[in-house]
Amino acid sequence: MHPLRHPRNALAVGAMFVLVSAGFLLFAEPLGYGIDFAGVTMLFALGIAMALMAYVLIAGSPRE
Amino acid sequence: MATHALTPAATYSRGGLYEWLTTTDHKKIGILYLVNSFVFFFIAGLMALAVRAELSAPGLQYLTDEHLYNQLFTMHASIMIFLFIIPILAGLGNYAVPLQIGAPDMAFPRINALSFWMLPLAGVLLMAGFVTGGAAAAGWTSYPPLASDRPLASTGSGQDLWIVGVVLIGTSSILGAVNFLVTIFKMRAPGMTLFRMPIMVWTMLVTSVLVLLATPVITGALVMLFIDRNLGGNFFDPATGGNAVLYQNVFWFYSHPAVYVMVLPAMGVISEVLPVFSRKPLFGYKAFVFATAAIGALGFSVWAHHMFTTGAVFLPFFALLTFMIAVPTGVKMFNWIFTMVRGQLTFSTPLLFALGFLSMFLIGGINGAFSAAVPVDFALHDTYWVVAHLHYVLFGGSVFGVFAGVYYWFGKMTGRMLDETLGKIQFVLMFIGFNLTFFPMHMLGLAGMPRRIADYAANVGWNDWNLAATIGGFLIAASMLPFLWNVFVSLRNGRIAGDDPWEANTLEWATSSPPPPYNFDHLPEIRSERPLFDLRHGRNGH
Amino acid sequence: MTAESHALTQVEPVEHSPVATLAHDARGGISNPILGMLLFLASEVMFFAGLFAAYFNSRANTTPWPPAEFEGLLDPLSLILVATIILVASSFTCQFAVWAIRRDDRTGFLRNMGATLILGIAFLLLQAYDYSVLFDEGMTMSAGPFGTTYFTLTGFHGAHVFGGVIMLGVVMYRGMVGQFSGRHHDMVEATSLYWHFVDIVWIVLFSVLYLL
Repeated sequence: MHPLRHPRNALAVGAMFVLVSAGFLLFAEPLGYGIDFAGVTMLFALGIAMALMAYVLIAGSPRE
Repeated sequence: MATHALTPAATYSRGGLYEWLTTTDHKKIGILYLVNSFVFFFIAGLMALAVRAELSAPGLQYLTDEHLYNQLFTMHASIMIFLFIIPILAGLGNYAVPLQIGAPDMAFPRINALSFWMLPLAGVLLMAGFVTGGAAAAGWTSYPPLASDRPLASTGSGQDLWIVGVVLIGTSSILGAVNFLVTIFKMRAPGMTLFRMPIMVWTMLVTSVLVLLATPVITGALVMLFIDRNLGGNFFDPATGGNAVLYQNVFWFYSHPAVYVMVLPAMGVISEVLPVFSRKPLFGYKAFVFATAAIGALGFSVWAHHMFTTGAVFLPFFALLTFMIAVPTGVKMFNWIFTMVRGQLTFSTPLLFALGFLSMFLIGGINGAFSAAVPVDFALHDTYWVVAHLHYVLFGGSVFGVFAGVYYWFGKMTGRMLDETLGKIQFVLMFIGFNLTFFPMHMLGLAGMPRRIADYAANVGWNDWNLAATIGGFLIAASMLPFLWNVFVSLRNGRIAGDDPWEANTLEWATSSPPPPYNFDHLPEIRSERPLFDLRHGRNGH
Repeated sequence: MTAESHALTQVEPVEHSPVATLAHDARGGISNPILGMLLFLASEVMFFAGLFAAYFNSRANTTPWPPAEFEGLLDPLSLILVATIILVASSFTCQFAVWAIRRDDRTGFLRNMGATLILGIAFLLLQAYDYSVLFDEGMTMSAGPFGTTYFTLTGFHGAHVFGGVIMLGVVMYRGMVGQFSGRHHDMVEATSLYWHFVDIVWIVLFSVLYLL
C-alpha cells in the first residue's frame, strides 16, 4: 500500500481507462473510422468499475 | 522457529465422500477443481481426436454428418476454455494462494464451495445438448446470425443450454474472483507486504481483476443472444434493425481479457517453479509484477483485434495496443530466462514443463505478433494459422504450466510425490506430439486452409500436414497414459513428500504434506518473498 | 511484526477516507463481507456496461430514435418519474436505517428498513404497471432494437431491484429477531451498498432512456 501513498491514487488506474475511452471516441473519426459507441461505453464503464475496485481494495486493506 | 512434526501424511484423514461433497476447505476444493477439470480435459480431448481423425485425410470418412462435426469442435473449445483451463488455474490458485500468504483459508469458504459445485452442474448442462437433439454447434464464439438461428445453431436446445451453462460458469468465476481479491488483500500473514507475495499470488490477483471486470460483459452478451433467440429480441438481427457485429464487439470485450485469465496463473506457476529448480530468486521481481499488471491493463484494450476483418474496427488503435502487449510479455520472458542463467539447474519434471512453457509460449507470442499486423490478419483470419497460435499459447503455454504445477504441488496436496521417470516420459511424448500437431497448422494457415471445416479438397496440398497433425494429436493422447498411471501408482506407493521435498522458498512448504485443515501451526518470520529460504539460511531477505 | 523493514512514508490514515465509516475488522481494514459486496458491485457495473454498449450502438445505428411509432412514449414526466422519486427516497430511508443501527438504535433501524422495503416493492409494482402501459401501446421486446434495449435494460434493473428486495426482507427478518447491533451489522451495510448501487443504476438508466 505505501507505494501509492494514498488510497485516492488508486483511482488513477480507472482514470486511465476513462482517458483511453475518450481517445477511442475522439480519434476515430479524424482518422477515418466510425465511432464505436459500444466500445466507448464499455471502456468508460471499465474505468468507473476499475476505479471503484482499486479504491476499495487499497483503502480497505489493513494498515501494515 | 521450525514447524513441529505434524501428523504424518499416511495417517492424515482424507475424508470420506460426505466430507468431499460438503467441504469448504480451500485445499479440498482446489483438488476438486483439479479432478473436475481433468475429467473435462479428457472429454474435450476425445472430441479433438474425433475432429483430427476426420481431418486426417480428405473426404468425409467418420463424421458423415457435418452437423455433428460442428458440434464437436464447438464443444471441444467450449469445454476446454470454460470447464478445463479457466477452472483448473482457479483450482491451483485456490489450493496455493491461502497457503502462500500464510492464511488459514479463503475469505469466503462457503462461496468457494459454491463456485466449485456450479461447474459440474454447468458441464452437465453444456453436454446435455448432445442428448437433447444436438449440442451447440455455432463455434465456441457463438456468433449471430448463426447462433440465433434455429435450427442451424443446433437442432435441439443445445445452444440455449450452452448459453445457460456458460453464464453459470461465469458466475462461478466472478464469485471466485471476489474471493481471491478479498483473501489476498485482507488475509496476508503479518510481514507479508504486497511486494513480498509469491508471484503465483500476484498473477492470481491480476487474473481475479480481469475475471471480476470482464466476465460480466460476456454474461451481458449471452443474455442478449438468449433474448434474441427466445424472446423475440432484435439486438443482432439486421433484418429487424439489429447489428450482428455488436455481438462480436461485446463478446470479445470479455473474451480477450479471458485469454489472459487463461495464461497468467500458468505464468505464476512457472515463476514459482523456475526459481526453485535454478536455486536462484526470480530475476526482477518488481519488474515482473508491473509487467503482469501492464498485461492485465492492456488486455482490456485490444479486443477488436479479433474482429479486424469486420470493417467496423478502429484498426490503428487496436493494432498498436496489441503490439504493445509484446513489451511486458517480453520483460517476463527475460525475467524467466535470467532466473535460470548462472543458476544451479535441477531438471526435474516441473522444470521440464516450465521449459516447455517458455519455448512454446514464445512461439505462440511470435505468431501472435504476426497476426497483430492488420494486413497480415486480413489474410490469416479464420485460417489454421489462428488455430496454431491459440494452441501454442493455450496448450504450449497454459497446459504445460498446469502440468508443471501439478508435478510441483502433487506432493504437497497428497503427501506423496509423482514419479519422475513417468513424468519425463509424459513430457517427452507430449512435447513431441504437441509440436507435431500444431506446427503444421502454421503452414496450413499460410496455404489458406480455413478453420471449422469438416472436409477439404484432395488436390490443394493440405493432405500431408493434416495427416501429421492427426498423428501428433494421437501422440498427445498417448502421453496422457503415463500421466494417469503416474497418478494412480503414486497415490498408493509414491515417495513420501515430507514438508519440503523440493527445498523451496514459499510458505506452503512450511507445513506438513498435506497440510492440516487450518494450514499452519507456526509461520516463519516473513522478511522477503522467500521466507523459507531465509529461514534455512538464517539471513534477512531484501 | 516488521514495522521497520522499510522507511515508511507517512500514509494517509484510512480513517479520513470515504470507506472509514464502513465497518472495520480487528486488523483495520474494511470487513470482508463488505469488501466482497463492493467488489461484486464493481462487477455489476460491467454487466450493465455490456447492455448499455448495445443500447448506444443500436441508438447510433437507428434513425429516427425513438422510431416514429413510439415517439413521445417514453415521457419522463409521467408515472416513471414517480417511480424514480420513490426509489431515490428508498435510498434515503436505507441510509437512515444504516445510521440508526450504527448507533445501536434498533427501532429506528427497523422503521427505516421497513420503509425501504415498502418503497422498493412500490417501485417494482409501478414498473410492472408501466410495462403494461407500454405493451398496450405496442412497445414490446420485439419492437425493433428500441423495444429490445428498453426492456432488456429496465428488465435487468428490475431483476436487480427484486434481488435487493429479497435481501432487504432478510435484513428485516434478522433485524426483527434481534441479530443486529451497533457492533455487528455487516449484512445491513452490505445490503445498503447494494441498494444504493441499484438506485444509481436507475438514475443513469432513467437519464439515458428518458432524458437523452
